[in-house]
Amino acid sequence: MAEPLGGRHPRPDAVMKVAGSARYVGDLALPGMLHAAIVAAPGAPARVVSLDLEPARAVPGVEAVLAAGDVPGANLVGTIFPDQPLLVEDRVRMVGDRLALVAARTPEAAWTAAAAVEPELEPLPGVHDPVEALEPGAPVVHESGNLVRTFRVRRNAGGDGAASAPVVVEAEYRIGGQEHAYLEPQGCLAIPESRSRITIVASCQCPFYVQHAVARVLGLPLASVRVRQAHTGGGFGGKEDYPSEVAACAAVLAFATGRPVRLIYSREYDLQATTKRHAMVVRHRWGADTDGRLLFAEVESFLDAGAYVGLSTVVAERANVSAIGPYHVPSVKVDTHVVHTNNLFGGAYRGFGAPQVTWAHEATMDRLARAVGVDPVEIRRRNLLTGESCTTCTGQELPSPVLAGACLDRATELAAAWTGSATVAPSPHLRRGTGVALVLYGCNLHHGGQFLDRSSAVVILQPDASAIVRVGLTEMGQGNLASAQTVAAQALGLDPSRVEVWEPDTATVADSGPTVASRGAHSTGLAILDAVRRLRRRLDPVAAGLLGCAPGEVELADGVARVAGDPSRAVPLERVLGEMTARRIETIATGWWRSRPRWFDEATGLGSPYETYAFACHVAQVAVDPELGLVRVEHVAAAHDVGRILHRDAIEGQIQGGIVQAMGWGLLERLELDRGRLLNPSFTDYLIPTASDTPEISMALLEDAPGAGPFGAKGIGEPSFIPTAAAIRNAVCDALGIEIDRLPFTPPVIVDALGTAHPFADLLD
Amino acid sequence: MDERIVVRLVLNGEERSFRVAPGRRLLDLLREDAGLTGTKEGCGAGECGACTVLLDGRPVPSCLVLAASCDGAAVVTVEGLGGPAGSHPFQRALVASGGVQCGFCTPGLVMTGAAVLEAGVTAPADQARLLSGNLCRCTGYVKVFEALRRAGEDGDG
Repeated sequence: MAEPLGGRHPRPDAVMKVAGSARYVGDLALPGMLHAAIVAAPGAPARVVSLDLEPARAVPGVEAVLAAGDVPGANLVGTIFPDQPLLVEDRVRMVGDRLALVAARTPEAAWTAAAAVEPELEPLPGVHDPVEALEPGAPVVHESGNLVRTFRVRRNAGGDGAASAPVVVEAEYRIGGQEHAYLEPQGCLAIPESRSRITIVASCQCPFYVQHAVARVLGLPLASVRVRQAHTGGGFGGKEDYPSEVAACAAVLAFATGRPVRLIYSREYDLQATTKRHAMVVRHRWGADTDGRLLFAEVESFLDAGAYVGLSTVVAERANVSAIGPYHVPSVKVDTHVVHTNNLFGGAYRGFGAPQVTWAHEATMDRLARAVGVDPVEIRRRNLLTGESCTTCTGQELPSPVLAGACLDRATELAAAWTGSATVAPSPHLRRGTGVALVLYGCNLHHGGQFLDRSSAVVILQPDASAIVRVGLTEMGQGNLASAQTVAAQALGLDPSRVEVWEPDTATVADSGPTVASRGAHSTGLAILDAVRRLRRRLDPVAAGLLGCAPGEVELADGVARVAGDPSRAVPLERVLGEMTARRIETIATGWWRSRPRWFDEATGLGSPYETYAFACHVAQVAVDPELGLVRVEHVAAAHDVGRILHRDAIEGQIQGGIVQAMGWGLLERLELDRGRLLNPSFTDYLIPTASDTPEISMALLEDAPGAGPFGAKGIGEPSFIPTAAAIRNAVCDALGIEIDRLPFTPPVIVDALGTAHPFADLLD
Repeated sequence: MDERIVVRLVLNGEERSFRVAPGRRLLDLLREDAGLTGTKEGCGAGECGACTVLLDGRPVPSCLVLAASCDGAAVVTVEGLGGPAGSHPFQRALVASGGVQCGFCTPGLVMTGAAVLEAGVTAPADQARLLSGNLCRCTGYVKVFEALRRAGEDGDG
């Protein structure tokens, strides 16, 4: 039997997914089940003048229509700060704000009834740009003011370098948001079991968030709300906080009717109403010596939180400390403002604020390279964190080895193999360019979210030497089941096929925090290892008795217990489990993990926001048609500091998928907003990459710097995404010889940026 | 008056008869009337391909097909292609190549991929074009291509 660790054994969820037997929320139906729909505000901001719900009640098949006054518990949602009504009473702050809920016998009847309601709204002046929202006299979104919070870093700020740097580069970057576009729309099934107890089956990343949200709106103890995660068709952050709202709607209707209620979003409503990646404005003023060695960096960012706080403050927390990337900078000043507007509210999205600031710092590094006349790779080499100079943005000293340089080397080596290789047919008007980008990614939750950085697991050994593993973090496609299975199989010496990992259920494991921040494999795996350690206190003496050795000499591998150093002395694990069963020895154990405490000062932004870091470097080659402004990404090379590979297909899949999703953000995916209303809520008008857009991808996985995860693993879900769009940006600018400072690079943006350099500029004059 | 229309299908190899409203989508007939929930609805507008089934051997988005127009047709869904074990060569290759992540697009992708293999299309660029009607947000398509290649080779052997 090959060792499970680092293997390519089939993912445990693969067969049921290819066979179509994996059931998602929309596939689950119960007798008497009702279907929910939402009455949403079509425009914002506005005052609710009147809300006549009779037209909805008149639609045949409708069983319940509820407004704000009908919420049995608190009429509030919001993960960090409950500032958002589940159902609006008087003030609409964004398009899509909920006014009423409908339950009916069919989805068609429910949505027809919702559409029959014509709320009378008095429009109010709104604000839709985060910089304008801070100007005096700007319309106020909440009475507390439009500035939610400013995060800062001050490290030798205003030191000598800032005054005397011979080279200074300045830029303002305007970076657009992004829709998650998970293929499965939001959905939830609420099953009331009595007036005091409910089960929720949800498409979600964070069952414990859902549990808290449902308990609050129903006014129930947490223990009376059971949340089971259904197979979840993609998340990417879009199913971090938002499913709490979906579940709260379904739960309130289920309690009102006493019947199971299923709420499934249409794609259009999902695109229109759910959270997005934050749009950001990022201003840079960076200085260097004449060799391009950085002397100071000043960054001021404005994060468009939209109408509610949502997760914006924690997104900003990561953006703030990620602002200068993997570079050694003696003097740092960072301000990150979280600002309300009347736009759709920003939420979690893969990278959590880091992709935006990375796009900006990598654009600035290329500007600096051009300003001092050196190659973009060389400018990075001169400034990267190394074993000798390894102080991060926040003054945290990184332990050796520091793989920033190794990632740059490996990615550029992979890219060197493309020389002369074009995937787009040569054409005289096409221009080619290459771009590079790096990221320093803080693994797991920021210091500010440390209280959530914990994880629970249960391992139950079966008499036939198979194992049930219960975990608190979810599978949403990223491979958490596969990595959990791999870790458990490795630790128990079992073939992965003998380990069954079951999806989270809040009634079986303790609150394990959210499945976010690339922490799934890490947090789940360490909790499983803890459970296995506890089990082995009981198993090893039994095995030792059968083997005739000391308990400390027992090792588990290849489905046997054997004497360490003498593998010929072995007994099948099935026999050990048989003995434990016969002697009624406990074969269940819980496991727990929490991150190590660390110091961080909120006021100065100095300290250790993360326990460990991962580096990554992506290099992209593009072909650009300057006449049409079209970009084709031909190649991407990716080098990642992964700590240790748990499941090889899962990690490769994260990197390939991250690259293509980030390519979409960088080039295609434009949220067309008109006063906060999305004008392109469909996959015809909001384009995401197809199979025809995939570039050639090559990758190097570096295992030289162990992380704090199981067997030394580090998170990969977000570092896989973060550098790609920046590398593409730099490649396009290299091809065209201009700077483009807006994202995404849709054709009009490129043609506009070319200006007089456009091939037809003289004809159009 | 009952306006429902009788639709006779050979559904996954079995003769079945359904009575449907004139506007009923093939997708709803499959998921609700026949209980075949393997076919997914991702957009309801023919944009994402998650609801792809084989209609007389051709891959179609079942959300855009009226059930009543299918009388007499042969329909194959993901359940009928390789059974509960997912034994079609492309299904097996997707499992072996790690080409499955969240799985929501997978049934539709399986049906299109099966049609691509059946048609004997082997040029990678042509395969990519044919798969471009099936959106996948997780994989970046790389391992899906690998699975298609692997299934083509295994199928020949």
